[in-house]
Amino acid sequence: MPAGGHPHPLLAASPGTTGPVTRLALAASGAGLSLAWGGWVAIAVVVGSAVLALAMGRARRLALAGLGLLPVALSSLAVNALLPAGGGGVTAALDALTRLLALTLPMTLLFAITPVADLLADLEARGLDRRVVFVLGAALAAVPGMQERAVGVIEAQRARGLDTEGSWPRRARGLLPLVGPLVIGSLVEIEERALALEVRAFAAPGRRTVLRRFPEGRWQRPARWALAGLLAGGVAARVALQLAGVPAPAWVRPW
Amino acid sequence: MLVLERATYRYPGTTRWALPPISLEVGAGRVVGVRGPNESGKTTLCLVASGLAPVAIGGELRGRVLIDGRPTVELRTHELAQRCGLLFDNPAAQLSGLHRTVEEEVAFGPCNLGLPPAEVAERTEEALRLLRIEDLAGRDPGRLSGGEVQLVALAGLVALRPAHLALDEPVSRLDPERSARVAGAIERLAAAGVGVLVTEHDEGFLARLCDTVLDLGDGR
Repeated sequence: MPAGGHPHPLLAASPGTTGPVTRLALAASGAGLSLAWGGWVAIAVVVGSAVLALAMGRARRLALAGLGLLPVALSSLAVNALLPAGGGGVTAALDALTRLLALTLPMTLLFAITPVADLLADLEARGLDRRVVFVLGAALAAVPGMQERAVGVIEAQRARGLDTEGSWPRRARGLLPLVGPLVIGSLVEIEERALALEVRAFAAPGRRTVLRRFPEGRWQRPARWALAGLLAGGVAARVALQLAGVPAPAWVRPW
Repeated sequence: MLVLERATYRYPGTTRWALPPISLEVGAGRVVGVRGPNESGKTTLCLVASGLAPVAIGGELRGRVLIDGRPTVELRTHELAQRCGLLFDNPAAQLSGLHRTVEEEVAFGPCNLGLPPAEVAERTEEALRLLRIEDLAGRDPGRLSGGEVQLVALAGLVALRPAHLALDEPVSRLDPERSARVAGAIERLAAAGVGVLVTEHDEGFLARLCDTVLDLGDGR
C-alpha cells in the first residue's frame, strides 16, 4: 500500500452505491416480467426506467433507444390494425410495443450507467468462468472494431476506384467488394487475439485475480435474490396460466 | 538461456518448412537480432522461440527449442508465457480489449495467474516504470498512439516477468521518434537481465540494440 494509507489505484473500490450485478438483476427482472405479463407490468417498467433515466441524466440515451423502435412499432401497428389477417388490432399492437419498450429500456439504461468492463468484472468476481467473460466482452467490443475495420476497407476500396456513393443500387453493388476483406480481416484478428491470450497466460489453471471491487451493501444480496425469485415466480405463474388456458387477470390488462 | 538447435518448423496443413533450420542462443541480458526479407520466417522464428509453435498452434517442429534447459514442447502455454513473452508485429491485437485503463490492461497477465492483488499491483507498477509509461496508467488503451500501444503491449508481457522476450518487428509500424522510445525500452529490459530476441527489417535499429545480428536469408 502506498504511503498515506491510500490503496493502489488498481485495488481501489469502484465508486457508486449499487453493484453492476445488482443493476443487472434489476434490469433483467423488469424486462423478463414485462415480457411474460405485458400490460400494466410492462408500462410500470417503462415508466420506472424513464424516471430513473431522468434522475440519472440519461434521458436522451433512453429516448434514442425508444425512437429506434419506431419502425418496429409502426410495422406492428400496420400488421395488427390495418391488415385483416393481422389478428389482434390496435390493442395487440400497443401491448407488443409496451413489451418491446419494457425489454429495451431497462437494458439500455443498465449499459448507459454501467461500463461493460465493470459488469464483466463483477460477474467474474462472483464465479463466472473467465472464458465466458472473455467471449462476452470480446463480442461486445467487436462491434466498434468491425465499424472501424469497415471504414478502413471502404476507404481502401475507394482508393482503388470503387464507387460507394450515388443511387441505392449503385451503393448496394459497392458493398459486395467490402464483404470479403471485412470477414477475412475479422477472422484473422480472431486468430491473432486467441494467440495473444495464450501469450498473456489466459489458459493458466485456477481462478483469475479480480482486482476491481464493487459496492456491496447489506441489502444488495437479499435484493438480488428477491428479484430473481420475483422473476422466476412471475414467469412460472404466467406460463401456468397460459397452459391452463386462463387469461391474464384484469388488473394486468389496461386495454 | 533460450536455445534453438537446428530448429525448423512447418505450420499445420502445409508441406513447406516456414523456417529454415536455425541455431541460436539468447542469454540473460543479451539482445540477439534477426533480419530477413518478407516471408523469410521472422514471425515463425518468434512463434517457435516463444514455444507457441507448435504448443498452441500445432504444426511440426524439428530440432530443439529449450528455455532454461526445458524443451518448449514439454511446457503448457501459461508456463511458456512466464518464460518467454512474444510481442506480435500488430500490438493492437495483443491488447485484450476488455479493460478501461492501461494499468488494468498491463495487469491482465498477472491476474490470469491468480496472483494476490498486491503482487499484481506491484508487477504492474514495475512494468510501467521499466518501460517509462507510468503517465499512461490511467489512459484508455483504445485511445493510444501506435508507439504507445506497442509499449503497453510490451509492458503486459513484462508484467509476467519472463526471462526472455521474442519481439516480432516491434518498430515496423512506428516513426523514428517512437522507434527510439521502443529501442530505449528494450535496452532497459536487457539491462534488467531479460534476454531479447528481436526480428526487424530496420538494420539501423538492430545495429543500435543488438549484441549479435543473424541473417535469415531469403527463407527459401
